[in-house]
Amino acid sequence: MKAELREALANYLTAIGDDELILAHRDSEWAGHAPILEEDIGFANLALDELGHASIWYRLAAELLDEDPDRHPDALVFTRPASEFRNVQMVELPNGDWAFSMLRQYLFDASEQVRLSALAASKHPELAQAAVKIRTEELYHIRHTSAWVRRLGLGTQQSNRKMQTALDLLYPRALQLFTEETGEAELASAGLVPRPDRLLASWASQVSEELIASELRLPDGNLSTPAGRNAHTSHLEPLVAELQQVARLEAEIAW
Amino acid sequence: MNEADRLKAFEERIRRGEKIEPGDWMPDEYRRQLIRMISQHAHSEVVGMLPEGAWITRAPNLRRKLVLLAKVQDEAGHGQYLYHAAETLGATREEMIEALLSGRAKYSSIFNYPSLSWADMGVIGWFVDGAAILNQTMLARCSYGPYSRANIRISAEESFHMKQGKEQVILMSQGSPLQRSMVQDAANRWWWPTIMMFGPHDHDSPNSPVLIRWGIKTKTNDQLRQDFVNQVAPEVLELGLSLPDPELHFDQASGNWLIGPIDWDEFWRVVKGDGPCNAERMAARRKAHADGEWVREALAGYAERQPAA
Amino acid sequence: MKDTQWPIYQVFHQEQPDRPHTNAGAVHAPDAELALQNARDVFVRRPDCVSLWVVPADQIFSLTAEEIERAGLPPTPAGNGDSQRYLVFLKRTQAGSHEHVGAVSASSGPAALGEAVRSFGTEEALVWWVVPEGLVERTDAAEVGSLFGPAKDKPYRDQAFYHTTTLMRQIRGRPRQET
Repeated sequence: MKAELREALANYLTAIGDDELILAHRDSEWAGHAPILEEDIGFANLALDELGHASIWYRLAAELLDEDPDRHPDALVFTRPASEFRNVQMVELPNGDWAFSMLRQYLFDASEQVRLSALAASKHPELAQAAVKIRTEELYHIRHTSAWVRRLGLGTQQSNRKMQTALDLLYPRALQLFTEETGEAELASAGLVPRPDRLLASWASQVSEELIASELRLPDGNLSTPAGRNAHTSHLEPLVAELQQVARLEAEIAW
Repeated sequence: MNEADRLKAFEERIRRGEKIEPGDWMPDEYRRQLIRMISQHAHSEVVGMLPEGAWITRAPNLRRKLVLLAKVQDEAGHGQYLYHAAETLGATREEMIEALLSGRAKYSSIFNYPSLSWADMGVIGWFVDGAAILNQTMLARCSYGPYSRANIRISAEESFHMKQGKEQVILMSQGSPLQRSMVQDAANRWWWPTIMMFGPHDHDSPNSPVLIRWGIKTKTNDQLRQDFVNQVAPEVLELGLSLPDPELHFDQASGNWLIGPIDWDEFWRVVKGDGPCNAERMAARRKAHADGEWVREALAGYAERQPAA
Repeated sequence: MKDTQWPIYQVFHQEQPDRPHTNAGAVHAPDAELALQNARDVFVRRPDCVSLWVVPADQIFSLTAEEIERAGLPPTPAGNGDSQRYLVFLKRTQAGSHEHVGAVSASSGPAALGEAVRSFGTEEALVWWVVPEGLVERTDAAEVGSLFGPAKDKPYRDQAFYHTTTLMRQIRGRPRQET
């Protein structure tokens, strides 16, 4: 693989790793505060899986950059300034209520369904293998979160209202998962990653079916083009400060 | 069979080492004590998620983040098994939760202490989960079947909780000056509360005799406490850490590590609700419960409207 | 305000394909699908599960050996009501859990209990459970990978992942550090 492609692919993997990491971080905040004990357990499971996935993507990125895969993930997570993270804005937003968090997880899980299915066909064999493995875990995620979206959408007037409020906030943000980043077109042409516009089309049709069945209204009218992944909300700085707080007490020590 | 005969037969079953199962005859007092003990144990697991859950977002590397989240998740799972064991005795989860949140039910006072640094995660794992394992290993032999089985399952899962904590304390104690001072500070704060986890001295425990007679407990508070000190104190000292007890010493004659006097004033203050974090812990649980009400209602509403199978 | 923690579902797990399903415990859930998911999250955090069943607890008909001794078996109903299949679970020992042994056909729960005792009568059982087969929600063979696979990838839940014994031994072997 050409050097530029290697670097572009490493950036792509770091970005999707950042999505998983930041979302897992947000999800983990629910442990001990979920609406029912079974979800303290269940939602934590989603977070554990996402943390595992983040490590997998970061390790693949490390191999492409000739970095040590055992050290690179922690270096990425615990030493980069907030401005260098490449996650989408949707995952860094504060948790809000249960409707918000569950719907966000669903929209993200649905994006993973389409992305992982496409990545399973990547010409980079290690990436294809990782995608197949992760996709198996993600099958349970989408089952869980879509069941919850359906039930919250159809449950009571109150739960439907909360879900609608959450959807109005989240749907435009979710589109950022499919914006084309620098270098992505070349990666797609080389068969290494899928074309984001195709992913968007699959994702949009899948989620709209579920959301409509859950009696939720999709935003009408044209939505503005989302920002690139280097643009963050004001929520990321404090998140990263907390994330790195203990690690930054002292550099290069083992915990 | 009259009550006296039933009681005799019941106590014979216990003496023979038989398990009492849901639906078997049991004295009201046995049922009452078990519901109290089991629900208290369940509440402790659930409240116990809070001091550690607060540090997941600040774990210093990915491995520690995963491990801590998995541990906290397990604690919720243990609460779940325990509530279910109490349910087999006729208590409902709604009632038990209401009792906790209204302040009527107790939970282990250890969780009313704050977790002040990352080093607390190591020390809580080694000390607090280590103490819990001793307790649970004993309760695995409890005469009431569902509680015994719940404790067997919990003990199997809990062993990683203790070891991950011990591993951290070992590494920090041999690490940088900052790490050593952090972990020493944590050990200083958690040692006595852990010692107090085992409850009042035997001669001050009104419930203990009947619990032992009916096989609900098979070891006394002081016995378990001694086991814990013997297990943990020498290893802490081997790491070059100290413990906040000038009277701690090994007694050749008994083969035990002996400790100084326990501050029972502090113990009772914390048990009665006046510890550093009692209010905070309860507020968090009440909020989670109140915030979750619309969710529980929504899903119950959805289920009601589904066509019957 | 009246709180609901949702109804209770009994959970049965099958650890290996050639072993029967046994009662693992129970979960609270609003409906069968979430009961299955909750069962997976509560009971399959460590490996060794190939199948899960969940059953609403209030739909289980139960009979103890003590009750049979006291009052005999439930009577067989006269005439033929609509018959359906009931799955049968036995608790054989004090310390054991209910285990799936087979099925009977009957026109009601109590009748099914009677049938179960008659059909599996050579079994020493302490407690009999029967439940209409239609009320048992099961995981699919096709789902085994996504439902139960992930638990195998979490070695950090196993105490063997932490080498505290080795670490302590190494430290004991060293000369004492100056602190």
